[in-house]
Amino acid sequence: MRRLTLVWWVSAVAALLAAGCDQKSGAKSGAVTAIKVVIADYSKDHTRPFWQSLSETYTKQTGIKVDLQVIDWNSIDQQVTTMVQNNQPPDVLNLNAFSSYAKDGLLHSADEVLSPRTREDFLPAFVRGGEYQGKLYGFPILSSARAFFYNKDLLARAGVAAPPRTWDELVTAARKVRALGPDTIGYALPLGPEEAQAEWAIWMWNNGGDWKSGNQWAINSDKNLQTLTFLADLANKHKVTQVNPGKTNRTDGAFHLFKDGKVGMVMGFSPLAKQLDAEGKVKYGVAEMPTNVGAAVTLAVEDYLIAFKKPSNADAIKTFLDLYYQPETITRWIRAEGFLPVTRSSLEQMRSDPGLKPYLDALPSAKLAPTTDPAWDKVKLDVQQTIGLAVQPGGDPRQVLDRLQQNAAAAGGR
Amino acid sequence: MLYPAAQLVRASFWQFSVTGLSQGFVGLQNYAKLFRQESLTMVVANTLVWVAAVVLVTIVLSLGLAQLLGARFPGRTLVRWALIVPWAASVIMTSKLFAWIYDYYFGMLNPALQALGIVSHPVDWLGDDATVMGAMIAVGVFVSLPFTTYVLLAGLQAISPDVYEAARVDGASAWRTYRSVTLPLLRPALLVAAVLNIVYVFNSFPIVWTLNDRNPGFGHDTMITYMYKIAFKSSLRDIGLAAALGVVNVALILLAVAAYLRTVRWRGEAA
Repeated sequence: MRRLTLVWWVSAVAALLAAGCDQKSGAKSGAVTAIKVVIADYSKDHTRPFWQSLSETYTKQTGIKVDLQVIDWNSIDQQVTTMVQNNQPPDVLNLNAFSSYAKDGLLHSADEVLSPRTREDFLPAFVRGGEYQGKLYGFPILSSARAFFYNKDLLARAGVAAPPRTWDELVTAARKVRALGPDTIGYALPLGPEEAQAEWAIWMWNNGGDWKSGNQWAINSDKNLQTLTFLADLANKHKVTQVNPGKTNRTDGAFHLFKDGKVGMVMGFSPLAKQLDAEGKVKYGVAEMPTNVGAAVTLAVEDYLIAFKKPSNADAIKTFLDLYYQPETITRWIRAEGFLPVTRSSLEQMRSDPGLKPYLDALPSAKLAPTTDPAWDKVKLDVQQTIGLAVQPGGDPRQVLDRLQQNAAAAGGR
Repeated sequence: MLYPAAQLVRASFWQFSVTGLSQGFVGLQNYAKLFRQESLTMVVANTLVWVAAVVLVTIVLSLGLAQLLGARFPGRTLVRWALIVPWAASVIMTSKLFAWIYDYYFGMLNPALQALGIVSHPVDWLGDDATVMGAMIAVGVFVSLPFTTYVLLAGLQAISPDVYEAARVDGASAWRTYRSVTLPLLRPALLVAAVLNIVYVFNSFPIVWTLNDRNPGFGHDTMITYMYKIAFKSSLRDIGLAAALGVVNVALILLAVAAYLRTVRWRGEAA
């Protein structure tokens, strides 16, 4: 225990260290000879090999070396924060956030590091999702969209003919599945800290609510209160969810249960479909989200590439990004990882894939999280750490939403 | 070692943006903000329970184990090796393994306890507020036992057989011998085991982090995981504030060890 705890302690401390390093950027003029590229690890099989080979191609073409780091999602925030603190940011970074960095004036905008051809290929929704104060700073690297997954065998055994389209139908279907056995779960609801904001957003939108109304946060609106009360009822009144849904994460919780065949319905995404296909244990279908008001809405997630301002690194970055955004290159990688396209040319190439049809169909009506607001980085964490408490027995949805609203307004004020 | 410490203290006086960009010197404001956090009291209480329970239970169990391993019996070497396994395994892997053992739907613990008639319904050990801390303490004890047992075993074997011989000649019972001969002579080893365990258990991150990762809020955090959440995983997202807590943590552990050594009169014992 001794050695390992010391390692943890040292790394935790190291993450907090190196404060306020003086801005002594060694402003050597002339072209750069190396760039640092930090990529988030989407999968062990594909991420590093793809970026490694892209880097080699780049070095061959330009003579500029690439210092490539592939970092897992659990520690990427911590490591990037430390890099910025030490005044050693990467040149190119892949992350699920960008606007805080734009707000701090750390980034190149598209004007400086994207060629017009690359930029014009971006799908318009993802351009809007990467803008801060009217300029494009967050370049889409890939996207994903959620869809409603159901276990065909369980629904059939429960006598549910078709996946539910409304919330009422969902409750009925979930009750029937739940009645099949003591360990059978009607709907797996993951509101634990890992990805609670995504699960919550989908329910919120399908009841006509939203994060914001105009430019103001509207987290504690009446509609959202109704939604959160509904989710608490799923858990405590109808008792159709897994045990302690406010304390269940997505990957090792809800998805794991679904992959084991214990769950009737869950909100999944294309990488889950890939795993289910590989395991072949569960016969599943994919449908639109059930809705309480109006047409079904799903969540799309856009991840970003951002380019840090460092002395005379713009041209080197531009060449690197152009290389990534070559239609065949970006499509090859997004396909391998099981995600969705962000450029027009990729979309055309991937349209023919039948497995992706439900997600590509849902994409036009999909909504993004408010990542363009720098306050979102904090609001997201706040939702992750609190919303689960509202669906626990004795939880108070109103109090939780009021608190979130108050904190969001305060985070935006600074 | 000194440089990171100095940097930690320095960071605690600065304000940082979410990205990690330094935004200027703020004096003691981070400390003032830290002591205004509503969750701090609860986290301090959790930490006390965590450290006290793990260290006490570990030492009591290790005393028994050390005695056992000191005795001669067939297969002793095998048992001694087996005890090293939890020590040699990564604490993160051990924690993940226990997360599965405790799991409500897939874990081995519930079926075992139900078969023995100890519980009538499955328990969500890591999700139920009443059981999370106990479940974490059990893992903390499990990974602390090997080291502690070997420290005490070394202490036991340093005791000369002559004193036992003398006790036997005087007609002392086994329990009397243990209390009046073994325990007093074991005191230096006990002291080392206690102090080192207090420091390690206080600083232990992976067990609490892994077993508590599904729970929202700070309800079962210790000061170490709280520090990490303040910096990266909560809406505070404030590395200056986390650095202030880091400084408080170091000060606290030094104080705790000093207080402990004082109460057991380290100097008198060492002489």
